[in-house]
Amino acid sequence: MGFSRRSFIQLASLAAAGSALGLRPFGVMNALAQTSQDYKALVCVFLFGGNDANNTIIPFDTAGYDNYASLRGPLALAQNSLLPLTPTPGFALNPNLPDIQALFNTKNAAFVTNVGTLIQPTTRAQYLAKQVTTPSNLFSHPDQQLEWQNLAQSSSTPTGWGGRIADKLNVQYNPGSQIPMVVSLDGDTLFCNGASTSPASVLAGNVGTGSCSEHSACASRLQTAQQLATFSSGFSLVQADNEITSNSYNYSKVLINALKSGSPLQTVFPTTNNPIGAQLQQIAQIIQVRAALGVKRQIFFAGFGNFDTHGNQLASQSALLAELSPSLAAFYQATVELGIASQVTTFTASDFSRCFQPNSGGGTDHAWGSHHMVIGGAVKGGQMYGTFPTLALAGPDDSGSNGRWVPSTASVQYAATLAQWFGVAPSDLPTIFPNIGNFQNNNLDFV
Amino acid sequence: MISRALRRGCGYAVAGCLCFLLTGCAGWAGSSGGDTPPVPVTSTAAARILDQGTFGPTTSSIQHVQQVGFNIFLNEQFNTPATLVADIPNPNPVQCNQFTTAQRNCAQSAWLQIALTGNDQLRQRVAYALSEIWVTSTLEIDGRAMTPYLNLLAKDAFTNYRTIMQDVTLSPAMGNYLNMLNSNLPKNGEIANENYARELMQLFTTGVYLLNEDGSLQLDSNGNPIPVYTEDQVQAFARVYTGWTYANSDGSAPSTFPNETKNYDSPMAAVESHHDMQAKAILSGVTLPAGQTAENDLQDALDNIFNYPNVGPFVCKQLIQHLVSSTPSPAYVERVAKVFADDGSGVRGDMQAVITAILLDPEARANDADTGDSTPSVDGGHLREPILWTTAVARGLNAQSSNTDPTNLYPYIQLASLIGGIGEAPLESASVFNFFPPSYVIPLTTLNAPEFGIENTGTVIPRLSMADRLVNNNNDTLTVNLSAASSLGQLAASNPGQLVDSLGATLMHGQMPSAMRSAIVAEISGISDPAQRVRLAVYLITTSSVYKVVN
Repeated sequence: MGFSRRSFIQLASLAAAGSALGLRPFGVMNALAQTSQDYKALVCVFLFGGNDANNTIIPFDTAGYDNYASLRGPLALAQNSLLPLTPTPGFALNPNLPDIQALFNTKNAAFVTNVGTLIQPTTRAQYLAKQVTTPSNLFSHPDQQLEWQNLAQSSSTPTGWGGRIADKLNVQYNPGSQIPMVVSLDGDTLFCNGASTSPASVLAGNVGTGSCSEHSACASRLQTAQQLATFSSGFSLVQADNEITSNSYNYSKVLINALKSGSPLQTVFPTTNNPIGAQLQQIAQIIQVRAALGVKRQIFFAGFGNFDTHGNQLASQSALLAELSPSLAAFYQATVELGIASQVTTFTASDFSRCFQPNSGGGTDHAWGSHHMVIGGAVKGGQMYGTFPTLALAGPDDSGSNGRWVPSTASVQYAATLAQWFGVAPSDLPTIFPNIGNFQNNNLDFV
Repeated sequence: MISRALRRGCGYAVAGCLCFLLTGCAGWAGSSGGDTPPVPVTSTAAARILDQGTFGPTTSSIQHVQQVGFNIFLNEQFNTPATLVADIPNPNPVQCNQFTTAQRNCAQSAWLQIALTGNDQLRQRVAYALSEIWVTSTLEIDGRAMTPYLNLLAKDAFTNYRTIMQDVTLSPAMGNYLNMLNSNLPKNGEIANENYARELMQLFTTGVYLLNEDGSLQLDSNGNPIPVYTEDQVQAFARVYTGWTYANSDGSAPSTFPNETKNYDSPMAAVESHHDMQAKAILSGVTLPAGQTAENDLQDALDNIFNYPNVGPFVCKQLIQHLVSSTPSPAYVERVAKVFADDGSGVRGDMQAVITAILLDPEARANDADTGDSTPSVDGGHLREPILWTTAVARGLNAQSSNTDPTNLYPYIQLASLIGGIGEAPLESASVFNFFPPSYVIPLTTLNAPEFGIENTGTVIPRLSMADRLVNNNNDTLTVNLSAASSLGQLAASNPGQLVDSLGATLMHGQMPSAMRSAIVAEISGISDPAQRVRLAVYLITTSSVYKVVN
């Protein structure tokens, strides 16, 4: 399969590009205007399609690199192109991630290695002997996206862990706020849905109430349209769409009003043909007006990708990482500008990693454990957490013989660590992450 | 799942239902159709089946179906040849060069024109549903590969599912999209590309879990779903699909691999020396023997998958969801899946029989006799996705092309772009998982409603703007006549209630709830300009959830 940007986000990013140019001399006042207060935001950047972690963080010592290069064959990145990581000299980064290199070297970013979907701790031997329960359909995109976003909470109404955090914390932190705790910049995603809360969806660079060409009749047209959305129907789907429509009218009004209170950010985002840059810019703009929105906790979801590099991987992944790297850096810079760098933590997630062994078409196939980035002033940066896999086909970390690494850290541990930083009490973890008790450590201490 | 009261068996389609229930209607598609006397149907029933089986009812199509009845209508449509998209000329016509993605935009324009104006409406609508199962996308493949693919789906829509499997598998479009094209015999240290092998089963034929014939999951003794295939089987199928590349321009197999000369018009061809000839253990305990040709491996593998019991319920449920209802009852799925398994003549995968079974099923027809205020006989329907919402609005308002230049082969380019702005650019799915996933469940509910995957508080707003644009002719592509002098304008001037009823008959099957009618009449009665009355009424109808969810 191939995941690509959504075309309406492409359109939106064109609109967003204009606002980046609107610099004002008072932009620097942003940090002062909003005095530091109790506020935290978690930002999920989901790399759809399954980013190849094996070409994201690469062994850099001679023996490690030589082993990597011999097995990766045509997909091996040249050693002299890699970006060294000063605090962890045995590893280097993909050449298209210079901003991540800088954030890591300045201790504002960390990596969590070989993290993936698990129900319980699992070894290669246990997996091969089917001695443990593992997530269903391990190498399927939709199943593993949902697994990452849901973390094995099953019920008749599917929910995700971002939504379940909001269920737990919204009343405590955001009483009286007119918009949900969770805001998605990439449409409907399970991660955002709670059992009692649902997200607001926002199109990057395109917050509005819709255009109207009817002049003096516009107000009454809007009123009647809103009235129609309140009529009850015997059709469940009409009821559901009425609710979405009513919420849409309400949220867009709240957001438009709040966004008027912010002066343009000085930080310039790469938004031209860069949907993730546009999404992160919109998130920064919403965070900027957090006081007007009446929120002390926010969770954002951004999505990006066509990381499903079955073919032509070197070119495709390079292009994507080259868009991702400056976008994440600009977002971090915007949080510095707003004076809340240590109150915003950004993390990546993805369906899965990709086989260490290349396929016959210049690409790689679906795998399992992956490496992820965590960025922000609160991150205990410049370190790699977890256990880096042994890069050997049919080796101690391989689930088979193609280099699909059995995760040594569970995505639920990764998520629970972020949730606790955000404000979830340890006693509430089992509600939000039902399988967390299967793992010895519920806090990886990277933030 | 939601409750569903099937109070009326057949509504007005009594003869159709009896035919279906007794025989599966296998004979309709063929020669016997002309022998069946027309069974008149109400305008509501006609409009409903047209909303399910076309790109939107029109005043004239409603009248036609009323006159000939369902059976003859379906038979006519089965016998209407496919409207084909012409190859995009090379070099690009000047209209195509206004965007950097010229071939994509030309393909979109050509397809939209057929969807809006083609006489083969049922064929094109089924082909569109198939394109949302067998997804390819011009985000990754050339528009010049897409146009033959669109024609393939239109030509195959009324054939057999096995034919569709064969033709799509060997199409250069799918070959490009999911990497079967030029998938090579793996060298030492490599594995065969698994992309097509996995998705052909996961998305196009079997799904990932064993199903009962009614589409529900089979469960093991611990209550867990049971996988259809293993990773080893995916790898075996991956090796089946090795060795295929572009055919020569005359359709013959090339001598070199990969063949770098693009040929989007012929099925891919095999170069045997690049095919993996090891034995392959595939589904149902079958092992393809070592030494088979690429062609023999492919036929055996596709037969193996096609005959897997999951295919009927997996595919039929999705076709029902695309055409009729997001939430079919298990019994509805089972009735259609049985027709997939056997059309009554012992044929598996007969698409005409399957489509007939879907559209004439009692559950599809149950609401034909409802009024807008009655409790729905079946709580079903599905959300109009942005593309189908746009086509239905345009056709319902008798929109005409604004183009006056007869040399312009691609006058719908801007419309495609505008539909992209409301979240669903034609032929540009973000992934092989389509614009929205079949498994999507609306938040805070248990409703599996795929199209809601792109309906959220963000995407609602641009659709409002699009409705404003369409009723005001604020676009380069379509012109609607909502003027004071138009028939709708004249109705609006004399009687706002009649205007709303007239719009309701075409756009809402005559099933507009009375509270909605009253609110719209009250709104437009305060306006003096008849044209503005029409615009406001159309806007309010088409942006309402009652309209957006087609029932």
